[in-house]
Amino acid sequence: MMAIRELKVCLLGDTGVGKSSIVCRFVQDHFDHNISPTIGASFMTKTVPCGNELHKFLIWDTAGQERFHSLAPMYYRGSAAAVIVYDITKQDSFHTLKKWVKELKEHGPENIVMAIAGNKCDLSDIREVPTKDAKEYAETIGAIVVETSAKNAINIEELFQGISRQIPPLETHENGNSGTIKLGKQTTQMTRRCC
Amino acid sequence: MVHTDLVLEDGPTSLQSLDKAMGDVYSDHQKDLKSITRDSGYDSLPNKLSILDKLLHTHPIWLQLGLNDSEASEVLHSQPPGTFLVRKSTKMQRKVLSLRLPNDCGLFLKEFAIKESTYTFSLESSGISFADLFRLIAFYCISRDVLPFTLKLPHVVAAATTEAELEEVAQLGLNFWSSPANKKLQNPSPLQKPLPSESISKGSQQLCLINGVHSIRTRTPSELECSQTNGALCFINPLFLKVHSQDVGGSLKRQCPRTQDVNGSERPRSPPPRPPPPSIHSLLASPQLSRTVNQASLPDTVDSSRHGNLDVLQKRPIPIPPPRLKKKALSLEVESNAKNSAGAGLSCNIVHGSEAVSIPGGAPPQQNLAESKKSLAAHSESQVQWNGGRQRLSDMSLSTSSSDSLDFDRSMPLFPYDGDTNSSLEEYEGESDQESMAPPLKPKKKRTSSFVIPKIVKSQLRKVSGVFSSFMTPEKRMVKKIAEMSRDKRTYFGCLVQDYVSFLLENKECHVSSTDMLQTIRQFMTQVKSYLSQSSELDPPIESLIPEDQIDVVLEKAMHKCILKPLKGHVDVMLKEFHTADGSWKQLKENLQLVRQRNPQELGVFVPTPDFVDVEKIKVKFMTMQKMYSPEKKVMLLLRVCKLIYTVMENNSGRMYGADDFLPVLTYVVAQCDMLELDAEIEYMMELLDPSLLHGEGGYYLTSAYGALSLIKNFQEEQAARLLCSEARNTLRQWHKRRTTNRTIPSVDDFQNYLRVAFQEVNSGCTGKTLLVRPYITTEDVCRLCAEKFKVDIPDDYSLFLFIDDTWQQLTEDTYPQKIKAELHSRPQPQVFHFVYKRINSDPYGAIFQNNIDYHS
Repeated sequence: MMAIRELKVCLLGDTGVGKSSIVCRFVQDHFDHNISPTIGASFMTKTVPCGNELHKFLIWDTAGQERFHSLAPMYYRGSAAAVIVYDITKQDSFHTLKKWVKELKEHGPENIVMAIAGNKCDLSDIREVPTKDAKEYAETIGAIVVETSAKNAINIEELFQGISRQIPPLETHENGNSGTIKLGKQTTQMTRRCC
Repeated sequence: MVHTDLVLEDGPTSLQSLDKAMGDVYSDHQKDLKSITRDSGYDSLPNKLSILDKLLHTHPIWLQLGLNDSEASEVLHSQPPGTFLVRKSTKMQRKVLSLRLPNDCGLFLKEFAIKESTYTFSLESSGISFADLFRLIAFYCISRDVLPFTLKLPHVVAAATTEAELEEVAQLGLNFWSSPANKKLQNPSPLQKPLPSESISKGSQQLCLINGVHSIRTRTPSELECSQTNGALCFINPLFLKVHSQDVGGSLKRQCPRTQDVNGSERPRSPPPRPPPPSIHSLLASPQLSRTVNQASLPDTVDSSRHGNLDVLQKRPIPIPPPRLKKKALSLEVESNAKNSAGAGLSCNIVHGSEAVSIPGGAPPQQNLAESKKSLAAHSESQVQWNGGRQRLSDMSLSTSSSDSLDFDRSMPLFPYDGDTNSSLEEYEGESDQESMAPPLKPKKKRTSSFVIPKIVKSQLRKVSGVFSSFMTPEKRMVKKIAEMSRDKRTYFGCLVQDYVSFLLENKECHVSSTDMLQTIRQFMTQVKSYLSQSSELDPPIESLIPEDQIDVVLEKAMHKCILKPLKGHVDVMLKEFHTADGSWKQLKENLQLVRQRNPQELGVFVPTPDFVDVEKIKVKFMTMQKMYSPEKKVMLLLRVCKLIYTVMENNSGRMYGADDFLPVLTYVVAQCDMLELDAEIEYMMELLDPSLLHGEGGYYLTSAYGALSLIKNFQEEQAARLLCSEARNTLRQWHKRRTTNRTIPSVDDFQNYLRVAFQEVNSGCTGKTLLVRPYITTEDVCRLCAEKFKVDIPDDYSLFLFIDDTWQQLTEDTYPQKIKAELHSRPQPQVFHFVYKRINSDPYGAIFQNNIDYHS
């Protein structure tokens, strides 16, 4: 049996950039009996295999409106990863993204894995944020970056796979402990693997 | 690891050992018949000790969780083959069964890993699982399954006939193995069991036995028999519900003709089942139902003895009724379980026959006794015949008391951590909001039958639970035991809890704020939990009864019961006082008013909102929430509220809404509800909920609710679009910090922070106070504290005394009362003692110490 690790992931970004759509696409795309129905789209879970582990993403959506900004620390605390979403057709949303990155660096959990998603790449003809800008920025902060389209299911899976790969593998006990290990409590102590 | 051919070699021996063992494990049939007392396996008849009893009494000998590899081999090396220990292997990070092999095997020791699922214990590579370690070991004492041979109890244990004998050897603990008690009488042929000639029944020639045990196999619901009297007790294991859901669909009627075929009549031969005690579900217990039960639970003895093999059984009709009959049928199955019939509707686990024999004894009506005897006698004959396949035991899934698995809390997990169906709240829809969280009588239309059934089964189980307490799950048993212990001041744990509770109740002024108070309580619960799991006060150790990944869950539940329950009223009052005193509720009240005057759009709501009726429904849920002491149950209700809000928002549009839309609506709803108390509820949950549950769905919506309230608290017209004040932000950060710092494991010293001291004055009698003290506080300091607390004029005249064994000892200034207390508590025989603060020169007998007042610390 593979070990299941619970990874809390929070979604940050301006309102309207498609945070919830990304999650819905990710969670519901391939219908899978393992997916449990949830109360609503603001909290969802999905389990994906990663190496010899199973990663169960507990995805916390946050409200992107400015007025809710101060609540964000509650949502991102204890997160193993943060997906920060911007809209490639809105320069403002990329600016907000930078603010989120700064906030996470200052107040977020240590070693949090950051993934930048430039959503709505299906609308590249009205693009305002060049791909290059995002790539360069991501490099400076050591984040994953990928342009996605929740609408057309582009790069959604890849985004989360990227996060999975950045989560360091468990240090297993020398003698194959095949039991399921629940790691809900340890996600905060994750160290980042360089790769 | 074991080959099938070995199985058959054991045949003849095990045939006899079977009967012997069954008698051993589950007590003698005849006796059961006479006494009609039920035997759960734990409480056996006075003069007959079952294997399970013996194991329970002697666990200090064989259950050696702390033993390392080399110590274990050292112990077992000098023991006869078959001797075993259960310990925790540091190498494998799990429990193992260490078994002494015969000398000619090359290795003298082999270890079998013990697998622990959420529900059960089993040996690695075996399909048979058990509710606890004791049952597992008892089973392997009579059947080898994946082992090379059966386990052997030390001779002195096997030969013991009284509990006293067992207690005596148990006291030796690990030393038993090297003691003369063990050495002097070692059985020369350890693998042979004595042959109980009297127990070989006539029909046994036809038996196909595997290593001395009935072949028992898992059957799908379609194969199950409600009317079978072969002695197997079936349990419904929710783990398998889904697997066999396709079997659902048989007809209830189909099994009745069979009875008629064979007997030519429908006359019940067994006593009618005892009617379930009245309950809120009594609607279901219609006369019609009980008639059905009667029919279905006919002990079909003739039939069994004729065709007592599985081939026939497998062709037997399906006991699952068509949908409309489901409730009845399930109730029927539960009843018939209790009556020892083999029926149960869903995928099943079957307990070894004879345990079931004792179950009808709940209290059958007197006039049915004869019938009962008859059927049971027939039963004991037929049960040996029931079996047929030579299937290996390990191919089965069996659980000795997995009725246990029907526990509501397990089968309906709240949080993602708990299981697969986790986060779904749909299952809870339609349920009543009673504290008991009773399952709904009407399944929600959306759910498939495989989900509906367990709820109904459970409700039926609850009905009979008063009678058949063996249906109590191991966790419930454990929670109950801990709760009982917490009220027993002779235990160290009981003292801790009682002292803490009375300290809080007496010292209202000891907390500076509501969060401070709740945090201290949370911390205390966490500490006590780790004390319980580390100390040896729970006997037998919790690890032997509860699978490892469930221990924390069970302990948490126990903490709610023994700490939060008695404190609930006090905490509510205090929270109200704090918030009234600091003016925060006044502010909240004003802001609630302000927010309610806004229209939804002004709050950022652009989706359908709950109407008046929905808001009323939500209010009712919140009011129910206020009555509960368990933070988890409160969260469950919060989730229901959120679900309701989501349902309204989505309004069949099929659109999925994220937090951008949900949070404003939640804020709107909270404002509409206009309940100040909600603030206290959220605070209670946030501070007292087990931190490990905060990452899941419960944690998410709790966070959102807290956020919604914070928004309202800080709602000012000009502020509406601006950031929250930095104060709220700081609170959040602190809250996070606490969560992370709380995780450090406390030492036992932490529990010694309370000391109960009685104050004795000649004129005014005794008064008691609980003092908050450091672990290594000296008597001198305690005296100083007492002088202050009891308002003594001349402190020098007074001193601290220990009253024990009817004598007074004055404690010198440099002693440590907490150490003395710990020492007294660690004595094998608990003694009643009191710390008394009184005049030094007063005649100790001048004022008679009142023993009936409970002053011990």
